[in-house]
Amino acid sequence: MAGDYHVGVGLSLLMYVALTQSWTVLSGMTGYVSLGHVVFYGLGAYVAVLLWGEAPLAAIVPLAALAAFAFAALIGLPALRVRGPYFVILTFGLAELAKYVVIVVEGWLGKFSRVIFGAPDIETLYYIMFGLAAAATLMTFLVRRSRFGRGLLALRENEEAAETVGVPTVRFKLLAYALSALVPGAVGSVMVLRQTYFEPAQIFDPVVSFTIVTMAVVGGSEDMKGPLLGAAGFVLLSELLWANAPQLYMVLLGLLLIVFVLFAPQGLSGLLPARRKTP
Amino acid sequence: MIRKFSIALAAAALFAAPAAAQNIKIGFSLAKTGLFAQAVPSQLNAYELWREQVNARGGLDVAGKKRMVEFVQYDDQSNPGNAVKIYEKLITDDKVELLLAPWGTPHHFAVAPVLEKYKFPMVGNTAASVQLREIKPGNIWFVTSAIPDKMAAELVAMAKANGYKTAGIVANVLPLAKEIKASLVPALQKAGIAVKVSEEYPPDIKDMTAILTKVKAAAPEALFVLSYPGDSVLYAKQAKEIGIAAPFQFVAVGPTMDFFGKVVGPSANGLVTMGHWSPAKADWKRAKPFYDAYVKKFNEKPDYLDTVVSYMSLEILEQAVAKAGTDKQKLRQAIASMTFDTINGPVKFQGVQNAITPTAFLQIQGDELQLVWPKAIATSPFKAKTGW
Amino acid sequence: MDALLSGQLLVAALVTGALYALTALGLNLVYGTMRLLNVAHGDLVMIGAYVAFWAFTLLALSPLLGLVAAAALAALFGLALYHGLFRRLLAGGKAAQRLEANSLLLFFGVSVIVQNLMALQFTATPRGYQYLDTVYRWGNAAITGNRVAAFAVAVILCGGVLAFLRFHVTGLAIKALIQRRDAAAIVGVNVERVQQLALCLGFASAAVAGALVSMTEQISPFMGFPFTIAAFVVIILGGLGNITGGIAAGLLLGVLETYGVALTSSAYRSILVYGVFVLILLLRPQGLLGGRRIVR
Repeated sequence: MAGDYHVGVGLSLLMYVALTQSWTVLSGMTGYVSLGHVVFYGLGAYVAVLLWGEAPLAAIVPLAALAAFAFAALIGLPALRVRGPYFVILTFGLAELAKYVVIVVEGWLGKFSRVIFGAPDIETLYYIMFGLAAAATLMTFLVRRSRFGRGLLALRENEEAAETVGVPTVRFKLLAYALSALVPGAVGSVMVLRQTYFEPAQIFDPVVSFTIVTMAVVGGSEDMKGPLLGAAGFVLLSELLWANAPQLYMVLLGLLLIVFVLFAPQGLSGLLPARRKTP
Repeated sequence: MIRKFSIALAAAALFAAPAAAQNIKIGFSLAKTGLFAQAVPSQLNAYELWREQVNARGGLDVAGKKRMVEFVQYDDQSNPGNAVKIYEKLITDDKVELLLAPWGTPHHFAVAPVLEKYKFPMVGNTAASVQLREIKPGNIWFVTSAIPDKMAAELVAMAKANGYKTAGIVANVLPLAKEIKASLVPALQKAGIAVKVSEEYPPDIKDMTAILTKVKAAAPEALFVLSYPGDSVLYAKQAKEIGIAAPFQFVAVGPTMDFFGKVVGPSANGLVTMGHWSPAKADWKRAKPFYDAYVKKFNEKPDYLDTVVSYMSLEILEQAVAKAGTDKQKLRQAIASMTFDTINGPVKFQGVQNAITPTAFLQIQGDELQLVWPKAIATSPFKAKTGW
Repeated sequence: MDALLSGQLLVAALVTGALYALTALGLNLVYGTMRLLNVAHGDLVMIGAYVAFWAFTLLALSPLLGLVAAAALAALFGLALYHGLFRRLLAGGKAAQRLEANSLLLFFGVSVIVQNLMALQFTATPRGYQYLDTVYRWGNAAITGNRVAAFAVAVILCGGVLAFLRFHVTGLAIKALIQRRDAAAIVGVNVERVQQLALCLGFASAAVAGALVSMTEQISPFMGFPFTIAAFVVIILGGLGNITGGIAAGLLLGVLETYGVALTSSAYRSILVYGVFVLILLLRPQGLLGGRRIVR
């Protein structure tokens, strides 16, 4: 029975790994910082809520992922034409817009909040989340080493120059954006089943977006090591400090963020001794 | 030397033994940060006051034996997912003997399956939704009688009893408001009360002028403002400015909190709100002492809704534990079957719901909140609102 | 009936717009001169609100006077942050490369710290008070005294800053810095000093906005976020760094909200606001009133 609590902690850790790895594929590689990644999480959760009872779990999770992917592919084309701080603010605005649209849609459906009955047990969810975290980590790993990844890094450094040397920047950016939405959509579906309660105003929580970015900053977002370190560090810190003054824990988090941005912009993974030069 | 030492040790052990009656660990999570943080103090204060009072009496009576209360609390950061994790931790890791409820409907729903899984009974408090009835009974109970559909029925009854023929609805799009509205509209129709104006608004609304101008033009006699604390304040201020003249104005959530009176001031006089408790009710013997103790400790009035239901849930727990100890099976039976004496009068559960406390409404009259409906428990008659 | 509608709505639109404009002013000053994205802006508003509240409750000081204290405190805070955090960033080095993204994260850290320190100190219980509560009727429209005062202060402050930027030497220096940073240094503008001034001014105006809203809204440690969002929406609409644009956009947003809601339905208010916001970003990121395209 004591195992159950640790499974819960493990679930949180895996969730953050999955989310941050996905975020890295976009924002770490291309430099287009997404501050509204919760939009994919929320959409995935909504899909799960709509399909619960109608479809089996094995179908819901992939469908949630696909829905998020489709949304990203659709919105990515116009969105990625926007650069720098505008893009950051845009992603945030998108998340808020999606939230209010879902609220209105739920209103049309005559629902205001949803309770999920007969949700799968925590072990099942844990294994699914493990799979998602592994998939996301693998994605970051593969992207990083591929020509696609090199193209992304090139456009991060200088988009015009990359274009000139033949990198299909528009297509690559869009692909990165859509890929970064895939796993968060699935994660959202799993977590809403864990919470067994859905309310649009609460599921599209900007704190999730900010937490992802914080973990990427602290852990590093150059490759797959970063999110692993960031998520692990974050969960470790919260487990250690939670019980004490919670506001103090938040203050510490804020301080950590500042310290890392100023002194270690590559995050924890940047502080690790470089084993060999990355190609 | 060793002999003296062992005698001393034995003596110490003899004296130490009775004093080491173990503290009882009671666990819960409340949002100290995030969206709900500003609503939580109402509940936390009730918990703190109760613990202080119980420990001052020598501790919690656990089936005859007194044990000092020790809280194990965490911050769930307003995230129901965290609440799930925390309650699992409380049960399996911290191994608390009793649980108290978190704040808010989403958290109660999130935590219910955990209680079900570990067969750990808990008395819920600050949750209000028609969906509460869908939760499997046995490990969670809800003290509040402010359930949306019952409230809608009673609001209409109250409007009818006062002879009002027209109504208006201004509702937030968040769950509680919409649930009330969903029951309110058909109930009004059935009672033959015409709905002259019906508007909805999003939770982050900054200005209600457009809505309230429409309301003023429609001039309903009964206006139902289904709002949350932040927008309740906005409504009160802007309704005063625009001059909403309806004699019956119901503001859902907010007026029971101390700060509402401080922010809105004397123009709040006459507003009706949801709540089923008043210290003015003389036949609830515990009501006034609780009020006085709260004011003394916190220098402000309690929230007549959240603080009261939270405290009630503790009284229920206290009385059940005195009878059944902390054995989960016995405790469950005790909570499900006993009739409890609380600051809100008697309480008994039927399934997950409180079967005795009626769905009631309070009205701000002068400096006090009075019970005005149902007439059977009213401490003061309803007075039409005349201006701001 | 229509006349009634326009009178009251106009008043509402103006007051809301003026407050939007004031709130965004500070954000624009900071971004324009230093390219720093202050996501802690709403928390400065919160601090201003608390200062006004405590000044009123403990010292019986009118918030119209309390706002001076709020402004001073915020300016000091700005100075402290400048020397503590931003000097490094603005000077150069590895972190400076991704200035905007980094500033966002830094300010986010500041925001989290400020919110939680306030919660620790004052608890999360909401506070409030009444001041200048009488309702004045003016033709078809009615307005409470405190809203008139808020409007007046907002207008005076916005007007004052605009005048300062146009006519005073230091104001012109700020403008120069906003337009072309490198060129400003060449023509002899003391970049360091002007930056600090802009930061302090920006922070102070946010705190003043906070003191003004404290008269009509509830005050709590986590109240800042909606103000931050609103301020960002306004400065995007007006063009990042465009001070005049921001003020105009603030008024525009007030009008959009009030009349847009009256024409459609309040339920769609947020979709309207964010929809327009996202559309502007997608189609014309330099804002409705912005000039050249600011591309990174």
